Amino acid sequence: MGCVLRAEWTKARTSPGMSSLLATMVVVTVALSAAVAATADPLPGADLPKLGLTGVQLGQAVVAVFGVLVMGEEYATGLVTVTVTAVPHRAMVLAAKAAVVIGLVAAAATVAVAGCVLVGWLLVPTGAGVPTGALSSAAAGLHAEVPVPAAPSPDAVAVRPAVGSVLYLVLIGLLSLGVATSVRSSAVGVGIVLALLYVLPIVTAVVADPTWQRHLRQLGPASVGLAVQASTADPEIGPWTGLGILVLWAVGALLAAAILLARRDV
Amino acid sequence: MVFPSLLAHPTITVTGLHKRFGATTALDGMTFAVRPGQVTGFVGPNGAGKSTTLRIILGLDAADTGEALVDGQPYRALRHPLRHVGSLLDASALGPGRTARNHLLWLAHSQGLGARRVDEVLETTGLTSAARRRAGGFSLGMRQRLGIAAALLGDPPTLLLDEPFNGMDPEGIIWLRRLIRSLAADGRAVLLSSHLMRQLEDIADRVVVVGRGRVLADAAVGDLLTTVSDGRVTVRPVAPMAVGGGEAEAAAVAGAGALDVATAVLVDGGGSVLPAGDGSLVVAGLSAEAIAALLGRHGVPFSELTAHRATLEDAYLQLTEQAVDYRAPAVADRGVLPADAR
Repeated sequence: MGCVLRAEWTKARTSPGMSSLLATMVVVTVALSAAVAATADPLPGADLPKLGLTGVQLGQAVVAVFGVLVMGEEYATGLVTVTVTAVPHRAMVLAAKAAVVIGLVAAAATVAVAGCVLVGWLLVPTGAGVPTGALSSAAAGLHAEVPVPAAPSPDAVAVRPAVGSVLYLVLIGLLSLGVATSVRSSAVGVGIVLALLYVLPIVTAVVADPTWQRHLRQLGPASVGLAVQASTADPEIGPWTGLGILVLWAVGALLAAAILLARRDV
Repeated sequence: MVFPSLLAHPTITVTGLHKRFGATTALDGMTFAVRPGQVTGFVGPNGAGKSTTLRIILGLDAADTGEALVDGQPYRALRHPLRHVGSLLDASALGPGRTARNHLLWLAHSQGLGARRVDEVLETTGLTSAARRRAGGFSLGMRQRLGIAAALLGDPPTLLLDEPFNGMDPEGIIWLRRLIRSLAADGRAVLLSSHLMRQLEDIADRVVVVGRGRVLADAAVGDLLTTVSDGRVTVRPVAPMAVGGGEAEAAAVAGAGALDVATAVLVDGGGSVLPAGDGSLVVAGLSAEAIAALLGRHGVPFSELTAHRATLEDAYLQLTEQAVDYRAPAVADRGVLPADAR
């Protein structure tokens, strides 16, 4: 397994598109969060940490493309025959790719989420929403003419939404890897994952029957996974329960991929 | 590394492979073995099942029945398979954005090998100067070299090369022929697949000729040629005035008459005669001595009388005549190709 992991890491490291894709993910995530934070006029009591993490909803699309391409590109170029010739234990190839996706997406997502939290501190108007701390008198004294951002209160730096968002993006990456491996195509893979992330919530919203609507919201990977960002508990989906359902999605996709990969002719 | 070819156990054994794709039978009892120290040519028309067989040997496709073993084990059971078999199936199967060196580097890492081995095979295949260029920009000939570098990476005792000459320039072809001969001289087993018998001439020790998913012939090249030659004799009759070097034009005109005379004489003498098209006749059913005596008695001079040397191409065409799936009669009818083009 060590050799296979090292090989897949070398492969990912030397693929020119991958690093720029992850950089893109960080940029669009932070940019959207910054835009939202700068323009929002939150009512008192609004969920500021969640607002600051809005960018994740765009970043997830780039993570999905990344997760799909990790395997989809091998099918597009035919490289998969070389990979499987070198490592005939196909489940091991998938496991190594999953490990690479976990590592790279976790690293990039940590940077992106940290960026979101930072712009949240800097840009979200103080005095609204969750109460923030007073200006640091020392800082105010030293830089009287420079506007100093409010020192974050423990509430504002809510740990669960931030850590949960990183985990969410990692799971989306794994789901995408599993889907792309199952369908053996980047285009179809991206289509399926983006439909799950963006179309399913729209369908959910227009479903008339409230019971069905609730069921769909409790099943859709985006709606359940993003429940972890809520500072105030969502009555329908608990934050960690939601992430747990997303884990089932990712594990299910990877299991299907492993079975198909082992049984099919390459 | 030199491998003991005295213990010539087959390194690859293929036994009774059957494989269907929907309604098409791709393999229909494919059986053969690849032995060390030899270049085994694997030849057959397109669609004969060569690539499917190679893919099954390499564990990429599963056979419906039958088995393919590498060093006595199924390929999928090998831990570092590239140390057992180096293979080149499709030279274009690579990440186009990765450099040649990085492509080999991840492959090396997958086998527990390091960058030093990568630089060695780059050197062997003449790619050192192109090592840091993106493989996507390589010509087909250079991709073939990169694929061969990948096949050599694990210093394997067995090599499977599928159409490795495709897209190579003449210099590359000469280089690769030498390399393949030297690999066999090391004691390695080389399975060299091609749809062109000509490419195997002078390089293969043995040929496995396949058609419609099964083996049509599996023989040493020398034996195969003898079988096809089958005691036939080539004779080149000449007109009397042309003997001793007359004018070429006169010789050609008179030679045509000489061919008819000689044909009549030899058929009368009990032979069966086939014009070879180059002014000579291929005679079966008569020994060289009998032909010389007959022509001498009838005063028909000849400039050449030799045992017919079949080419591998002859052998191949004779063997695959019944087994060619895709001829092009429509094309030939339109006159795009001569009717005898295959």
